[in-house]
Amino acid sequence: MAENSESLGTVPEHERILQEIESTDTACVGPTLRSVYDDQPNAHKKFMEKLDACIRNHDKEIEKMCNFHHQGFVDAITELLKVRTDAEKLKVQVTDTNRRFQDAGKEVIVHTEDIIRCRIQQRNITTVVEKLQLCLPVLEMYSKLKEQMSAKRYYSALKTMEQLENVYFPWVSQYRFCQLMIENLPKLREDIKEISMSDLKDFLESIRKHSDKIGETAMKQAQHQKTFSVSLQKQNKMKFGKNMYINRDRIPEERNETVLKHSLEEEDENEEEILTVQDLVDFSPVYRCLHIYSVLGDEETFENYYRKQRKKQARLVLQPQSNMHETVDGYRRYFTQIVGFFVVEDHILHVTQGLVTRAYTDELWNMALSKIIAVLRAHSSYCTDPDLVLELKNLTVIFADTLQGYGFPVNRLFDLLFEIRDQYNETLLKKWAGVFRDIFEEDNYSPIPVVNEEEYKIVISKFPFQDPDLEKQSFPKKFPMSQSVPHIYIQVKEFIYASLKFSESLHRSSTEIDDMLRKSTNLLLTRTLSSCLLNLIRKPHIGLTELVQIIINTTHLEQACKYLEDFITNITNISQETVHTTRLYGLSTFKDARHAAEGEIYTKLNQKIDEFVQLADYDWTMSEPDGRASGYLMDLINFLRSIFQVFTHLPGKVAQTACMSACQHLSTSLMQMLLDSELKQISMGAVQQFNLDVIQCELFASSEPVPGFQGDTLQLAFIDLRQLLDLFMVWDWSTYLADYGQPASKYLRVNPNTALTLLEKMKDTSKKNNIFAQFRKNDRDKQKLIETVVKQLRSLVNGMSQHM
Amino acid sequence: MAKTYDYLFKLLLIGDSGVGKTCLLFRFSEDAFNTTFISTIGIDFKIRTIELDGKKIKLQIWDTAGQERFRTITTAYYRGAMGIMLVYDITNEKSFDNIKNWIRNIEEHASSDVERMILGNKCDMNDKRQVSKERGEKLAIDYGIKFLETSAKSSANVEEAFFTLARDIMTKLNRKMNDSNSAGAGGPVKITENRSKKTSFFRCSLL
Repeated sequence: MAENSESLGTVPEHERILQEIESTDTACVGPTLRSVYDDQPNAHKKFMEKLDACIRNHDKEIEKMCNFHHQGFVDAITELLKVRTDAEKLKVQVTDTNRRFQDAGKEVIVHTEDIIRCRIQQRNITTVVEKLQLCLPVLEMYSKLKEQMSAKRYYSALKTMEQLENVYFPWVSQYRFCQLMIENLPKLREDIKEISMSDLKDFLESIRKHSDKIGETAMKQAQHQKTFSVSLQKQNKMKFGKNMYINRDRIPEERNETVLKHSLEEEDENEEEILTVQDLVDFSPVYRCLHIYSVLGDEETFENYYRKQRKKQARLVLQPQSNMHETVDGYRRYFTQIVGFFVVEDHILHVTQGLVTRAYTDELWNMALSKIIAVLRAHSSYCTDPDLVLELKNLTVIFADTLQGYGFPVNRLFDLLFEIRDQYNETLLKKWAGVFRDIFEEDNYSPIPVVNEEEYKIVISKFPFQDPDLEKQSFPKKFPMSQSVPHIYIQVKEFIYASLKFSESLHRSSTEIDDMLRKSTNLLLTRTLSSCLLNLIRKPHIGLTELVQIIINTTHLEQACKYLEDFITNITNISQETVHTTRLYGLSTFKDARHAAEGEIYTKLNQKIDEFVQLADYDWTMSEPDGRASGYLMDLINFLRSIFQVFTHLPGKVAQTACMSACQHLSTSLMQMLLDSELKQISMGAVQQFNLDVIQCELFASSEPVPGFQGDTLQLAFIDLRQLLDLFMVWDWSTYLADYGQPASKYLRVNPNTALTLLEKMKDTSKKNNIFAQFRKNDRDKQKLIETVVKQLRSLVNGMSQHM
Repeated sequence: MAKTYDYLFKLLLIGDSGVGKTCLLFRFSEDAFNTTFISTIGIDFKIRTIELDGKKIKLQIWDTAGQERFRTITTAYYRGAMGIMLVYDITNEKSFDNIKNWIRNIEEHASSDVERMILGNKCDMNDKRQVSKERGEKLAIDYGIKFLETSAKSSANVEEAFFTLARDIMTKLNRKMNDSNSAGAGGPVKITENRSKKTSFFRCSLL
C-alpha cells in the first residue's frame, strides 16, 4: 500500500479522506464527502482519479490471492462432485426413511394432538380454578352478608361489608358481578341505617309510653329508701351501680321487642322488689343503633336525631293536661312521666359514650325545671282543696327527692314548695273560715249544760277550762261558755296539725317549722277567726242573747291562747328555752271581737229605744197632764229593766256601759223630741206631761238596774233634761239670766239656744191664746214677760256667737 | 213628734220553750228563717206596720222566753197585751198538752177581753207529727178561740195568723167605739163630750 501511494503521488488531504471513508460508518460519509467539494474547485476530479487508482490496486491484490488459492479450489470442486453422488444417494435414503417415519408416526401424531388438546384443557381448567378461587370467597362473604341482613344482625353485616370492601373486592374488581356488588353495598348500608333508625323510633315511642311506669317505679324506690337505714341505702346504691354496668362488648346480637319485661301482675306480686330502669325497658335498640351509626361514620347524625327527638318528647311530657289540678292523680301522672323521661336519659348518659352528655342533660333539665315550676305554680293556684295541695306537696317532695337521687339539682322545686305552702295556708284559712262560720251558725249561744261527771269531763277534755268554784258545784251545772268555744279550740288545733303537715319532708329545722306554725296560727286568729267573729257580730238579725254570750266566749278563748302556744311548742319538739321570734297574737283578736260585740250591744239597745220612741204619741197642745207617765215610756223602762235583769252573766263593766249608753241615748232622744223643728207649739200641760216621763227615767236610773254604779253617776244622763224642765216649770228666768255663766248656777247645763227654741214654741201658744185673753191682765203680763225673756235669751245667743 | 200610725196593737207570743215563737216572729217581721235554735232570754219585741181597712196599724209583738226561770218577767207583759198567740209544736205532744196551762196563765194575768189564738207550728214536719190538726181544732173550739197550723220555716199561714189576730182586735175596737157613739145623742155639747170620751177611751186602750 505504501508503495502504491508513493507511485500515485496523491494529495495528503485526499489520502486522509479515503482513510476516513474506509474506516467510518456509512451514515457519516456525507460530511466527509462534502469536505471534498468544499475544497479546491477541481478537487473531486483528482479525488476520482485517486479513487480509481485505489480500486485498481485492490483488484490486483485480489487477483494474487486467487492465483495463490487456485489449486486448492480445484481440489475442492473435485471433492464436491464426488459428494454430489453421495448426496444423491443420501437424499434417496432420507426420503425413504422420512416416508417410513411418516407412515409410522401418523398414529403418534394423532395421539400427540389429543395430548395437546388435553393439555390446553388442563391449562384452561387451572386458570379457571385459580380465578374461581379468587371469586369464591367474595361470593361466600356476600352470601354471608345477605344471611346476616336477613337475620337482622346488622352490626355483623357491617363488619362483613367492611371486609368485602377492604380485603376481597380488590382481587376481583375487574369482574362484572363484583361491580354489581360494590354498587349494592351503599344501598345495604342505607337500609341498615333506616332499619336501625326505625328500631330507634320504636324504642323512643316505647319509652314514651312507659315513662309513667319507669317514673312510678323510680319514685317508689325513692320513697322506700327513706325508710331504709344508711347501710341499707349504701347496699342499694351498690346494687344499683352494679345493675347500671354495661359490657359493651356483649351487646346482644338478637333484637328483642321493646316491651316491659315485667307484667303488671308480676309487679303486684313483687311490690317490694327493687327494679332498675333496665329491668323495665330494653335499651338494646339504642346501643345497636349507636354502634351501627358509629361504624358507618354517621354518629353525629344519630346523636342529633336522638337529642332532637328526646327534646320533643320532653316538651310533650312537660305539657300538662288542662285539668291536671283537679285530682291528685293528674299531678301524679305528670310527675311520673317526667321522672321516667329523665331516668332514661340518666341511664343512657352513663352507659353510652357521648350520645348524651352531662351538659346536654343539664340543659334539658334546666329547661324542664323552669317549665315544671311554671306549670305547678299555675295549676296549684287553681286548687281550693287544702288536702289536694297537701298531696301535691307530698308528690313534689318525692318527685324532687327522686330526681335529686339521679343527680339533677332540685333546689328551685323546694323554693316553689314554699310558695305553695303559703298558698296551702291560704287555702286552709279559707277552709277554716267555713268551719268557723259553721260553728257559729250551729251554736245556740247558751252556757253548756252538764248533768253528770262524765259530761263534765268530756267538755274539760276538749277545752282547757279551769274553775275551782264550778268544779265544786253539784250537778246539774253549766259552763259559762257556749258550745262554740270548745269547737273553735279544737279546730284551731286541727288547723295547726294541717299546717304542720305541709312542712313535713321539706327539710326544715324544728325552729323554722315552729315559727311558720305560729305565723300561720296568727293569720288564722287575727284574720280568719277575727273576720268570722266580726261578721257574726254585725249580722243584721243577731240578738242580745248572742252578743252577750260572744263576749263571754271570747274572754275564755283569750285565756286559752297560752295553751295553744304550749301546743305548738310540743308539736314541733323544740326546746322550752328556745326564744320564739314569733308569738301568738290571738289575744288581740279576742279583745277586738269583744269590743265589737260590746259596741253592738249598745247599738242594739239604742235601736230598741228608738223603736219605742217612735211609738210616742204626745198631745203637744194638751192643757192638763194625764197624771201618769206615757205608756210607751213605761214599756220602754220595763223593757230595759228586764234586759239588765236577765243578762246577769254580762260582765260588770259591759253591763254598766250598756246601761249608761242606753240612758244617754234615751235622754238625747227625749231632748230631740222637744227641739224637733217640725214641732211648732208646746203647751205647758204638755211640758208637765213630758216631765212625768222624765221622772220615770230618773227613777229607773236611781234604782240601780245594774250593780256597780257610784252615787248619782247614772242619773247624770238626765241632768240636762231635768234642769231645762225645772227652768220652764218653775218659770225661774230671773235666776237663770242673773246667774248665767256662773259655775254655781242652778241651770248651768241649760244652753241658751235650747231655752230660746223651746220658749219660742210656747210663745206661739200664747199668741193664739191672745185673741181670747185680750182682757185678762195676768195673761197680758205673762205675754210681756215671755217677750222680754225671748229678747234677753236672743242677746245671750248672739253674745255667744260673737265669742265663738 | 208626729205620730206615724193610726193604731198601736200590742201582741204577745207565749208557749213552751222551743216551739218556734221567735221563729214565727222573725218570719213575720223580717221574712227570714234561722235553723239554729237560740233560746230567748227574758223578753224581746219587734215592730211591724201593717195596713188594715185603710188604717196604719203598728204591731208591737212581744216575744217571751218559754223557760220557767223567766216566768216572772214575762208574766208582767200579759197585762198590756191586746192579743195573745198560744203556740205549740205539732211534733211535740207535751207542748200541746201545756196549752191548757198557758191559757190558765192568761186568765190569771191578762185583760179579760184579750184576743186569743192558738197556733200549731212546724206543720212542715208532717213526718214527725205527734198532734193531729183535728185535735188542735177541737181544743180551740173548746175554748171558743181561733186555730191555725203554721210553719215558720216554710212561712205557711204566718202572715195569715198575725193579720187575723190584728183584724179581730180591730173589729173589737170598732165595736166598742160604735157602742160609745150610740150612747151619745143631742146637741153640740154632747158631741164634745163624745169626742172627749173617745179620746179617753183610745188612750186607755193604748195603756
